[in-house]
Parts: sequence; structure tokens; C-alpha cells
Amino acid sequence: MTTQAKAYTPSRKKFKNMNELSTTANLIVHVIFIAACLCCIVPLWIVVAASLTEEQTLVLEGYNLWPRKFSTMAYTFLFSSGGGGVLVAYKNTIIATLIGTCLCVMSVGLYAYPLSRTDFRYGRFFTFFSYFSMLFNAGTVAFYLLCSQILHINNSILALFLPQSFSAYWVIIMRTFYRSNVPDAVIESARIDGAGEWRTLLQIVCPLAVPGFATVALFAAVGVWNNFFNCLLLINDRKYFNLQYTIYEILRSVQALKEMASQQGGASSNAGISLANLPSESFRMAMAVVTMGPIVLAYPFFQRYFVKGLTIGAVKG
Amino acid sequence: MTTLSNETSRVVRKRIWGAGEVKRHLAYLTMLLPGFIFLVVFAYTPLPAIIMAFKNYKLMMPPRDQWIQNPFVYSLLNSDWSGLKNFQFIFRSPDAAIFLRNTIGYNLLFMALGIVFAISVAVGINELRQRFMAKLYHTILFLPYFLSWIIITYVLYAFIAERGIVNKVMDALGLAHVSVYTMPRAWVFILPLANVWRYAGNNSIIYLATITGFDQELYEAAAIDGAGKWKQFRHITWPLLVPTIILLQILAVGRILNGDFDMFYSLPNGAGAVRNTTLTIDVYVYTALRTGQPLGLPSAAAFFQSCIGFLLVLTTNTVVRKVEPDMAMF
Repeated sequence: MTTQAKAYTPSRKKFKNMNELSTTANLIVHVIFIAACLCCIVPLWIVVAASLTEEQTLVLEGYNLWPRKFSTMAYTFLFSSGGGGVLVAYKNTIIATLIGTCLCVMSVGLYAYPLSRTDFRYGRFFTFFSYFSMLFNAGTVAFYLLCSQILHINNSILALFLPQSFSAYWVIIMRTFYRSNVPDAVIESARIDGAGEWRTLLQIVCPLAVPGFATVALFAAVGVWNNFFNCLLLINDRKYFNLQYTIYEILRSVQALKEMASQQGGASSNAGISLANLPSESFRMAMAVVTMGPIVLAYPFFQRYFVKGLTIGAVKG
Repeated sequence: MTTLSNETSRVVRKRIWGAGEVKRHLAYLTMLLPGFIFLVVFAYTPLPAIIMAFKNYKLMMPPRDQWIQNPFVYSLLNSDWSGLKNFQFIFRSPDAAIFLRNTIGYNLLFMALGIVFAISVAVGINELRQRFMAKLYHTILFLPYFLSWIIITYVLYAFIAERGIVNKVMDALGLAHVSVYTMPRAWVFILPLANVWRYAGNNSIIYLATITGFDQELYEAAAIDGAGKWKQFRHITWPLLVPTIILLQILAVGRILNGDFDMFYSLPNGAGAVRNTTLTIDVYVYTALRTGQPLGLPSAAAFFQSCIGFLLVLTTNTVVRKVEPDMAMF
């Protein structure tokens, strides 16, 4: 890009300035975007602020942009008493995300590579074979019965990642990515040097396709991390709940817990915090923060990879 | 010259049809294997189960001497056919009108909003003079896409709960408190808003990539002829974007009877009062499955969903191909 820009003749460059937005228009666009960005950030900040607010203040004064009375009790509670199985859910989610991401990158990367090669004769069939799964699926009931009656992966950690260990959509993106980012000449020369297909893929193609892999990995990881439906549908056993389902349950049932506490006049919980002053609202918000935390923190690091991976993979497809 | 090319072609032919070729295909085929197994298991094995939509499914235990020992498969094969009874039952229930209207209505709305907002973001980002800021904005706008609907349920809760931000604003304005979880009408606005919030940044990325790929000389020529930014958009950007828009919409049309289950299921936070404006087919199927209704019913709904979706993709694609062959997906 930069070299191209430098190659422009001075008159061109001058002209280019002419077609830029006027200063006023540019300013207006900036203002609109800043407003839009605030709309994205502020709601999340409110959740963070609420999680750091002392419970009584939160209940009496409601949600604010800034904690009126600072307290980390929600987090202490969360990490001390196993706060409603959050730690177990965290462990399950991390395991599922790690394994699921590896499986997905591996299977998608491997499936897409032959499809990207013009010398692979069965390419059309296998492309259609994966593409059809996007166009027609048997539906939720069949999926449920498959997992619970045939594969028996319900009520196990497998249910959290196995159904997401492949994706026809990413195969298409990855195939385009290989085609546009790995020059034929490179593969051809590897072949002439006597490398087999596997060796070519692993030693020559893979290093060139890193942005593509990073994109698939990021989206697969986020997909498993954020998955709610599989846990809702397939898992009843608390031991295997994932984070999303656990916090969903708590959003609904802390209220029940609290009501129970007020009826019983504040019996003490095993955490040593009496149920009456159980930090329910701030606790909930703290749950949301620890659930989105890893993603929000990891996001800026991955961002430069995935924008490249996405745009190259998607546009030319 | 000729000898050389003959020689090369012979070498090439040898390489394509020789023994090494089969071996190379073998390597390719082993690469396909993991994905292939996944597709067979998760995409193709469940397909026969759609016959359940036409059956009166009852769980039966297979006798000892049966060759099928899986109770589910045995029951599926041996349950009585019921024709279209399951479909009749669903579509005669009052729920059907609600979930069809909601599913299709919201999806159309989401498609329209998706186009408008995503293209606005893409064009705006593309036009901004400060490239660093443009990238920063895009990064931030993309962020909500990575948050799950459950998290967004929490965020929404912070706004519309009894002590939430909305009611604080109402206080400040001296208005009465609102309880959004019991207001069906509010959800007609909340759901599209949430949808735009989460997806605008993500949807814009394809449009942005397409726009940056356009030939800049077109814009320069238009500018010389005195076309302003709006005219340039109207007569250059938009027409060039149409194929991309159509391509994305063909896929979206196929999913018109599907929807973000997580969104419709979790955002209302279990509020039964707003069921009228939040019930979609997916939620109906799940609820029917979970409340112990005869399995034929949710199967029929899911079958309907898949078939209509599939037919819609084929139809849209055929129509598009007739009108403008280049814009069709396949």
C-alpha cells in the first residue's frame, strides 16, 4: 500500500486531497463514530462499575457510571465460596475452549487445503459435501437426539466443544485464504524439491497461512467460550456446566436465593456471608465481568490478525 | 520450441496420471479425513431423523433378538406414521402465528438494518482522513460481536432492571418508572437495537474490504466531473456494492426461519409477559423439546424450518441468477 502511495505523481496526490472529505464533514464523521464507540463501550463500563459498587449502594441508588461506594466484595465472594459453581464452570470452559479451538483449527485447516488445490480432482465433491451442511440441517431435535441417544455425549464435557470442532463456513474462508496467500510457485517448488503433500502443507504452507489460522482460532475460541445452547440443551449435571450457562442461571436464580433469604430471616450461607446481604446485584455483574474479561483483554492482540484473515479470506471468495 | 513444449506436456501428463498422483491424492484424502468424519457424524447422520416429523414417535425398548439395540433408532423405525398430523397440530395452535410473524419479521428487519448500518460504518471508516482513528473506531465497534448474548443480557439488565439506567433517566426527567420486562412493545425496539449493537461492526468488515478494493480512479473521475460525496456513493459505491449485498442476503434469506436462539431466549430473561414479541421458531422448538411434548412436534417445526430455508436459498439464488448471472452464489 505505502509503496503504491509513494508511486503517485505529485499532481495525483494533490488531486487525491481534493477528493478527501472536507474538514467539517470529516469532523462530523468523527463525532458520529465517537458517539457510536461510546455506545459500545459505556454499557460494558456500567457493568464493570456496578460490579465494583458496594451492594447496598447498588440496590438503593441503582446503576451508575462510577461506583459511588467502592467495594470488591462481589469478587471476593465469587472466588472464595466457589460462588455458585463459577470456578468449576471456568475450568470447564477453559478446557473446552482449548481443545475445541485446536480441533477446529486442525480440521478446518486440513479440510480446506486440498480444496484450495487445483490439482485435487475430488475438490468439487468435498466442497459440496461441506457446503451442503450449511444449506440444510436436520434441526435442533435431530441434533439433540444424535448427541443424547446415539453419541451419548450429553452430560459430559465433550458436549461443550465437540459439536463445534469443525465449521463449513471457515472452510470456505480458509480455502480462499490458501488460494490467495500461498503462491502456487511455492508449492510447486517444494514439490520439485521432493517434499510430499503433508510436508509441503506443514512446512511451507502453514507458516504462510498463519493469519488465516489465527482468524479461525479466534472465532472458534470465542464460539466455544460463548456457547450457551449446547450446555442448555445437553447438560444437566452441574459438574459440566460452562460459564455462559452458569451465569445465565445465576441471573435468574440469585433473585430466588435472595427471596428465600428474606423469608428465612437471613440464614447464614456456607460462605460466611449471610444471605440477607448476599451481594446479589454486584455479584451478578462481577460474573459478567469475569466471563467477558478474557475475551475483551485478548481481543486487541488478535485484532490485527483477524482483520487481515477475514478480509483476504472473505472478499475474494 | 515444439519439442520442448511436447516434452513438458509429457512430463506434466506423467505427473498427473502417474503412480505418484494416486499417492498424492491419498495424502489429500487423509487431510480431509477429520473434517469428513465430523460432517458425516454431525451433519449427515441426523438427517434420517427428520422422518420423525411424520411419525407418532413413541419410545420403545427393542426386544433382545433385534439387530438394532439402540432404543432411539428402534423406536424411530417402528413408530407409527402419522402423516402431516404433527404439522397440523403446530400450525393450528395460536403460537404458530406468533412465532412465524416474529421470526420472519425480525429477520427481515435485521437484514435491512444490517445493510444500512454496516454500509454506513464501512463508508464512514473508509472516508475518514485519520487512518489511525478509523482503525481504532472499527476495532471498538467490532468488540460487541465477541460478547455472548448472555453477557448482553446482563448489560441490558443493567439498563432496564428496576434500578437500572433507564429508570434513573426517567427519575431525572421526572417520569414514572418503566418495567421493560413486562412491556411487549418495547422488545420490538430492543431486539433490533441489540442486534445492530452486536453485529454492525462485524457486518461492516466485508463491505469495508470490498469498498477498499474499488478502483480509486472512478472516484477521481467523478470528483473531476464535480460529483460530491453523496453522488459518488449513489452512483459508484452503491452499484459496485450490490453484488456483495446480494450475496450476503441470499445466505441471510436461507436463515429467515432461524434466528439467534440465544438472543431471543436469553434477552427477555424469562419474562413470560413479553412472549408475544419474543417467541421465535427456535425458542418454540426448544421449549417444546424441553417441556416433554411428543417429539414429533418440535421435529416437525424444525423440519419445516430447514426445508423452507433450503428452498428459499435455492429460489433466491435461481431468481438472482436469471436476473444477473454474475451475482448468484452458485
